[in-house]
Amino acid sequence: MRCGQGIEARQVDELFINIDPIQAAGRLTGDAMKAVIAYGDGYSVCDNCRKPNRLDYIAKPPIAEFHKDVAKWLNMDAVRTVPGARRGFQAVAQTYVKKGDPVLLTSLSHYTEFMAVEGAGGIAREIPVGDDKRVTPDAAAAKIEEVKREFGRAPVLAFIDHVDYQYGNIHDVAAIAKVAHQYDIPVVYNGAYTVGVMPVDGKALGVDFVVGSGHKSMAAPAPSGILAATAERENEVFRTTAIEGDVTKRRFGIKEPEMMGCTLMGVTLVGMMASFPHVKERTLHFDRELANHHVVMDALLSIEGTTCMSEYPRKHTMTRINTIESFDTVAETHKKRGYYLQSALEERGITGIIPGATKIWKFNTYGTTKKQAEHLAGAFVEIARENGLTVRE
Amino acid sequence: MTFQAIYTLTDLRVLLRETAPSHDFDANQKAQAVRLLENLERQVGSLKQEMLK
Repeated sequence: MRCGQGIEARQVDELFINIDPIQAAGRLTGDAMKAVIAYGDGYSVCDNCRKPNRLDYIAKPPIAEFHKDVAKWLNMDAVRTVPGARRGFQAVAQTYVKKGDPVLLTSLSHYTEFMAVEGAGGIAREIPVGDDKRVTPDAAAAKIEEVKREFGRAPVLAFIDHVDYQYGNIHDVAAIAKVAHQYDIPVVYNGAYTVGVMPVDGKALGVDFVVGSGHKSMAAPAPSGILAATAERENEVFRTTAIEGDVTKRRFGIKEPEMMGCTLMGVTLVGMMASFPHVKERTLHFDRELANHHVVMDALLSIEGTTCMSEYPRKHTMTRINTIESFDTVAETHKKRGYYLQSALEERGITGIIPGATKIWKFNTYGTTKKQAEHLAGAFVEIARENGLTVRE
Repeated sequence: MTFQAIYTLTDLRVLLRETAPSHDFDANQKAQAVRLLENLERQVGSLKQEMLK
């Protein structure tokens, strides 16, 4: 079945349980799929755009209301939609970072935070993590002091990931933000793996900005995301344009330079909006997601030689697992080499693991039903047994 | 009517996702599938009437 020349219809999530670490929480809800069908045309949300001609003022479809609802949901004061979390990082970096400014990141920061800093001319300085792969407020304070000694001033901005992409560990953002604020450093909360997955309260965390990813964790099409700010910061990052053309004397109303005017003008935005009620609801039941994840983790850890590289017991559904002493020992002699695991999983209707990976890999069970989690657990154990690995009862 | 039929198919698609990979329906899911397929037949019938009159 094709949906265009050379474009096969994608049926991955209809045919398989998809445990891809970055795809799991971005799968569309039924309502988002319906919105995508109706709003696929380019500027589809602009039919009723009226003065002052800005996306977040459009009342039909209820985009203005959506912005207010998201701000309230995150306990922040202002929200804009952005084409992916990375564009949220970029907007904040361009507002606060000048050439040569030090910026605080962590040893587990996503690469797009580095790109945002680099784009603004900043210099990255990372808070190191301990053996437990967690970022601590003490390490943050030590790094800030180190930066002060190196640059003669504190970092101008800090990016802290609540759940990092490498291990899926939860970091104490509230305590780290408290430290950063003692040095007057604004804090960007990277919620790419939390906003839309678990409850997030920006004020309780004490952060200046909350960034979320629509396509990673809010069941929305890509590229989509949100950037939320406190009242203190919104007039800085969401400042309006002041530029004027010298010949035409044109000015551009209340467009915002960091947003490049309007941001998500069609299917990405309505997809995110259509999923939003479901996303709000699902964050209240993260415990169910964790329970399903534990079913799969218990099975994996019952296979002798398998270890969990993420913090354990798990507090998030994305996990980094080490199977060097289990599944990888089979790959050495298997006719399919390292591809046997992926192949065996696909035979059982499971996909999402990097092809060829048998050493260290990540997976995410977010959105699976209990029955699907049990199927995953059973499949891992069955593959282990079939290949002569020892499974503890 | 066009959207109704497509949206019914979308509901069926969601059901397939929720039950992947076996698509082994429990009693509730089976009842839901029956209802959706019946709706779809009715909606396609209405489309035929509307578009081919």
